[in-house]
Amino acid sequence: MGARDIDIFALAYLFLGLIPVLWLAARFRLAMNRTILWSSLRMTVQLSLVGLYLKYLFKFNLAWVNVLYILVMIAVASYSVLKSSRLDLSRLFGPVFVSILLPVGTVLLFINACVVRIENILDATYMIPVCGMLLGNSMRNNIIGLSNFYAGLKENEKTYLYTLALGASRLQALAPFFRAAVIASINPILASMATIGIVSLPGMMTGQILGGSIPMVAIKYQIVIMLGIFYTQFFSVCLSLLFSIRIGFDEYDIPRKELLY
Amino acid sequence: MIRYQDVHLDFAGKKIFSGFNLEVPENEKLLISGPSGCGKTTLLKILLGFEKITAGRIFCGKVEVTARNIRAVRSEIFYLSQDIDFRNDRVAAVLDEILSFEPNRGVTSGDAHQRNLMQLLELENDILEKNMPQLSGGERQRLGLLVCFILNRPVWLLDEPTSSLDERLRKKVVRYILETGKTVVVISHDDIWRKNGALRIERWS
Repeated sequence: MGARDIDIFALAYLFLGLIPVLWLAARFRLAMNRTILWSSLRMTVQLSLVGLYLKYLFKFNLAWVNVLYILVMIAVASYSVLKSSRLDLSRLFGPVFVSILLPVGTVLLFINACVVRIENILDATYMIPVCGMLLGNSMRNNIIGLSNFYAGLKENEKTYLYTLALGASRLQALAPFFRAAVIASINPILASMATIGIVSLPGMMTGQILGGSIPMVAIKYQIVIMLGIFYTQFFSVCLSLLFSIRIGFDEYDIPRKELLY
Repeated sequence: MIRYQDVHLDFAGKKIFSGFNLEVPENEKLLISGPSGCGKTTLLKILLGFEKITAGRIFCGKVEVTARNIRAVRSEIFYLSQDIDFRNDRVAAVLDEILSFEPNRGVTSGDAHQRNLMQLLELENDILEKNMPQLSGGERQRLGLLVCFILNRPVWLLDEPTSSLDERLRKKVVRYILETGKTVVVISHDDIWRKNGALRIERWS
C-alpha cells in the first residue's frame, strides 16, 4: 500500500503555475524572477537526486552507510548553522557538530529502539527520514539561539564586562544572555506544539495518511516526532551555547572579536 | 598598590600608551584629568583586563594582571564605569545578584551600615523596588557609589563619579571618598576634588 504515483508529465503541469507568478512579479518589479526560477530549479534537482540515492540507500540498507550518511547530514547542517549566524566556522564547527550529533543521535536511537521498536535500529527507512526532520528543525533553532546570544552580547557588552568587574564568573555574567537565547530558540516549537492540529496539519502526518496509514497511527508518529524535535532542539541549543561560551571567549573572559563583529 | 610598568598599547594602529609608567601607593587618592580620548578610561580597563596591553606589566598589590590572576585582580577592585552599566532588572534583584557573586560572599547587606550609606547618598528605600531603566542619571550614580561603599574593596577606580550629582551631594561624596582608607583613582574634570582634600593630581595633555 502506498500513495498513488504521480505521472511525470502531470507533475510538470504544476510548474505552469510559475508563468503567472513570473509575469506578475515582473509587473510589480519585484526583481525576483531570477531567484524564483533558481529556487524552483534547485528544489527539483536536489529532490530528484535525493530520490535517486535514497532508492539505493534503502535498497542496500547497510548500517555503516546509513550512519555515514547521517554524519554527513549533520556536518552540512552545522556548516549552514554557522554560516547563517555569521559565526566563525573554523572555531565553532566542531562544537556545533557535537551539539547537534549528541541529541539527534540519542533521540533517533531511542525512538527506533524503545518507541517504534524496530528490529534493525539503524534501518534506513526509519532512520534517515526521521533524522532529516530532527536536523531540519534543530538547525533553525540553533541559528536563532546562537544569533540571539551573540547579538545580545554585542549590544550589551558593557553590561557584561561590568558584571565581571562586580565579581561574576563568565557563566554568571552570561546567564541573562543564555536564558534569552534559549527562550527565543524554543519559543517557535512550543508555539507550534500548542497549536498543532488546530491551525495546521503537520506535513509528516499528511504524508503518512496519503501513504496509507490510518489516522491514529499517523498521529502517534506525529507525537513521537514532535517530542523528538523538541528534545533535540532544547538540548542541542543548550549544548551549542555552552560550547561556544567555552570557546568564544579568551582567558580574560572577553568575547573574541571575530564572534561579535 | 597599583603599578603600571613600561606599558605599551596600540589600538587600531594608534599608539595609546608607549612606555607608560605610573605608581599609586596604598591609600593614595589620585586624580587624573585631561582631554577626552587621551586614554584615561583605557588606563582603568587595562587594569581590569578588559583591554590587553601590547607590552609591559601591570600590578595590583603584589599580583600581576595576567590571564591566570585576572579574577583575583578584579575582586580587589571596585570599578565605577561612566555609565554604571548595571543589568536591566529590579534594583533589589541586581543588588542581590551582585552580593551572590563569589568574591562578595562575606559582604552583608540590609544592616545599619548600609542604611547609613543610603542616608549619606540620600537614597530612599523605595529605590530598591524600581527598575534600573527608571532611575535618573543621578540615582544611578548614587546607586553605583552605594555598591562601591558596600563592597568595600581595597581599590576604587572611579570614572567621572560625580558628574550627575548636585553641588551639595557632590561635596559629601568627595569628602567621603577622600577620607576612606582605600587606594582610589578618580578620573574627573571637576574642580571640587582639589578644593576638598588632599590628593595627587596627574594632568594629561
